[in-house]
Amino acid sequence: MSTPVNSTVGAEGRRERWIAVGYLLPALIVFGIFIFWPLVKSILLSVQGTDILGNPSGFVGGVNYTRMFHDPEFLTVLWVTFAFTLLTVIPSIAIALAIALLLQSRIRGVRFFRTAFALPFAFSVATASVIFGVLFNPASGVLNGILSHLGVDKVQWLTNPDLALWSVSGATVWMQVGYNLLVLSAGLGALPEDVLEAARLDGASGLRLQRSIIMPLLTPQLFFLIVVGTIHSLQSFGQIKILTVGGPENRTTTLVYSIYEQAFANNNSNYGYASAQAMVLLLIVLIITALQFGVLERRVFYR
Amino acid sequence: MKTTTTRAPGGRRLRYAVPAVVASASLFLAACGGGSDNGSDGGDGGSSGGAPAADALDKAKGVTTVAFWHAMDGTNAEQLTKLVDEFNSANSGKIQVKATYAGKYDDAITKYKAAIQSKSTPDLIQVYDIGTRFMIDAKQTIPMQKFIDRDKLDVSDLQPNIAGYYSINDKLNSMPFNTSMPVLYYNKSLFKKAGLDPEKPPQDLAAIRAAAEKLSKTKGGPADYGFGAAIYGWLLEQFIATDGKEYCDQGNGRDGKATKVLFDQPESVEVVKWWQQMVKDGLAANTGRDTKAAQAAFKSGQLAINLESTGQLGGYSKAAKDGGWELGAANYPHIKAGTDGGPIIGGASLWINSANHEDVNQEAAWQFVKFLASPKSQAAWHIGTGYFPISKGALNEPADVSYRKENPLFDVAVKQLEGTKLSKATQGCLLGVMPQARKASEDGLESAINGTDAQEAMTKAADSLKGQISQYNSSVG
Repeated sequence: MSTPVNSTVGAEGRRERWIAVGYLLPALIVFGIFIFWPLVKSILLSVQGTDILGNPSGFVGGVNYTRMFHDPEFLTVLWVTFAFTLLTVIPSIAIALAIALLLQSRIRGVRFFRTAFALPFAFSVATASVIFGVLFNPASGVLNGILSHLGVDKVQWLTNPDLALWSVSGATVWMQVGYNLLVLSAGLGALPEDVLEAARLDGASGLRLQRSIIMPLLTPQLFFLIVVGTIHSLQSFGQIKILTVGGPENRTTTLVYSIYEQAFANNNSNYGYASAQAMVLLLIVLIITALQFGVLERRVFYR
Repeated sequence: MKTTTTRAPGGRRLRYAVPAVVASASLFLAACGGGSDNGSDGGDGGSSGGAPAADALDKAKGVTTVAFWHAMDGTNAEQLTKLVDEFNSANSGKIQVKATYAGKYDDAITKYKAAIQSKSTPDLIQVYDIGTRFMIDAKQTIPMQKFIDRDKLDVSDLQPNIAGYYSINDKLNSMPFNTSMPVLYYNKSLFKKAGLDPEKPPQDLAAIRAAAEKLSKTKGGPADYGFGAAIYGWLLEQFIATDGKEYCDQGNGRDGKATKVLFDQPESVEVVKWWQQMVKDGLAANTGRDTKAAQAAFKSGQLAINLESTGQLGGYSKAAKDGGWELGAANYPHIKAGTDGGPIIGGASLWINSANHEDVNQEAAWQFVKFLASPKSQAAWHIGTGYFPISKGALNEPADVSYRKENPLFDVAVKQLEGTKLSKATQGCLLGVMPQARKASEDGLESAINGTDAQEAMTKAADSLKGQISQYNSSVG
C-alpha cells in the first residue's frame, strides 16, 4: 500500500522540480549572462596585465592587488568612499524621516507637499547633477549669487578640497530623499491602527508615541533604506563625474570613480587594475551588507 | 516579542534580494574587458605596409564606402556634415563617406580600442592630438606620408607648425584637421577702467601680475579678479613651449620613446608658483578644472585676463557684444620676456586604418582626407567653426579674407602661428600616456594652488607617471 503512494509522490515531486526549473530558467539565463559571467571575467582580468589596447596580456598573479595596497592614493580613495557613504545615507534617511513624520499631521494640502517632496526621485542623476552644477558654479552660480547679495564672500563649493565632498554629498542627499520619503510614508501609512489606538488609550501621545510605538514599527523600512542606500551610495558615479570629475586633488574620487578612471578615462585601459579595484568594491559591499544584516537586523521589528 | 520567529515574508525576500544587488554592484566593468584574442596580431598591413596602388579605386566596382568616426558635436558637427555631403555629391556613384559621431575624444578612442579587438575599425578616424603616440603604437594605421610620397604631392600648402605636431622625422603620420591654438584674451573695457593701456596686453608672467594688481577688487580694481584660467594641463604645456623647453625627454618624444615627463623642471615650477601666489593674493580666481567655469567668469566680466583656445573666440566675441564691453586678444604669454619659444597647436587629426581594410577603402579614405585638407574646405571649416585652417591657401580664399575682416582678432592667432619657429619644443611632446600626463600635471597644479609647495606638488605629479610610462613602453616593446 505504501509503495504506490510513494511513487506517485516521487513522480509528482520530479514534475514539480522540472516546473520550478522552467520558471527559474529565464531569470537564471539573464543573471548568468549579465551578472555571473562578468563576475568570473572580472576575477580573471584582475590577475592579468593589460596592454595598451586593453587586451589581457597574460597572468601576473597578485601584482594588481599589491600595487593597489601599496598606493597611498588608494587609501584616500577608500576613505573618500566611506565618508561619502556616511554623508549621504544617514542625512538622507534622517531628513526623509523628519519630513514623513511632519506629513503625517492632518493639514490642508498635505498630498501636494507629499508629491512635491518626493519629486526629486523622478529626476535622473544626470539631470539633477547638471542643475546642481549650475547652482554651485563659482562665477555665475545661484548659491554664490545669493551669498553675495547677503554680503557674504563667495564659497568655492566644488573647488575647495575641504568642501567639495560635502557639496557633492549634499546634492546626492537631495536626490535620495525623495525615494526614502516614499518608502517611509508608505510605512507610516500602513501602521496598524489598533496598536496606535491602544497606545493612545494608555495615554501615550506626541513624542512618546513616536519613540516607543511608531519608530519600532518603522524599523523594517528603515533597515531596508539603510541597506539599499548604502549600496546605492557605494555605487554612485554620475554626480561625481558631472560635478567634480573626482577632484579637487582627488578628494571626491570614490572607488567606483577610480575604477572608471583606470578603465576608461584619459585613454586609460587598465582593465586588470580596474578589475582588482572592482573586487575590493565587491568585497566591501558584501562585508558591509553582512554586518548590517548581522548587527542591525536584530533590532528590526517584523510584524 | 521575539523578532526572529515572527519575521514576515517581506523581510526574507529582502535577504535574498540584496546579494543579487551586491553582485551587480561592481561588475559592470568586465563586460567591457574585451575579447581574449590579441589585437596586435591582426595587423597584416599596419604601419609597415605600403600605400595601395593608385588605381585601386578605378578598378573597384560600384560605390566604395568610407566609414568615418569623428568626435565633433554641435556646430562643428553641422559644418562637418556639410563637407561630407559636398564630397559625397562630388563623388556620387564612386565614394560614399558615412560619418558617425563616436562620442567625445576620450570616448571615441575607447570605442576604437574595442573595435581593434573585434577587427571592426572604421576606415577613417579623428583622434585628438594627445592620442598621436598611442595611434602610432596601436599599429593599425597607414602613415599619410606613404600616400603623399606615392602621389608626389606638394604639401607646402600645409602649415608647417601644424603638420609638425603630427610628424616624426618630417614624416606625416596623420592629417591634421581641426586645429586650435592658445591665446591670451583680455577685457579692454576693464583695462581702461583700471587705467591700463588697452592696446598693451601683458605678455609675460610679471606683466600679468602687475596688470592684475590694478585690475583686482582686492586692490581696488574694477574686476573681481585680474586673472583667471581653468586648471587645465594644456595651458601649462603651452607655457613650457613658449619658454622653448621640452615637456618630456627624448627630444619631446621625437628622438625616441619618452621615458619621463619634465613638467617639474624649474621653469614649469615657476609658472605654478606664480599662479599659486596670484590666487593667494586674491589676484587670480580659482575656478577649478572645469574650463566652462573659467569661461563663464570671463564672459560675465568677473575676470579681466584669461587664457583659452582660439576656439573660444566666437563665444567670447558674442559675450562681449551682449555685455557691452570690448574684447582683446594677444599672443600667448611667455614666462619671461624675450624667450624664443611659441605655443603648440592643439586639436585633432585624421588617421587612415589599414589593418583589416581593403586597398580600395584606404584609397577612398585618402581621397576624402585630401578633400578635407584642401584650401577651400579648410576655409569653409575655419569660417564655420573657428578652428584654425591647416592650409596656408585657406587664408587667401576670398570668403576667409572677408571673415577675418569681420573678426580681426583672429589675425592675432594667424600672426602668432606664423611667428612661431618650429622646434621640438613647439612640436609638443609625443607620449603614449599623454592624456594621463596632462591629468597628472593638473593634479600638481591644483594641489599647489590649494597650498602645497609648488616644487613638491609638481615633482610628486611627475613621479606618479613613472610607472605608467614604463609600463606603456614595455607593453609596446
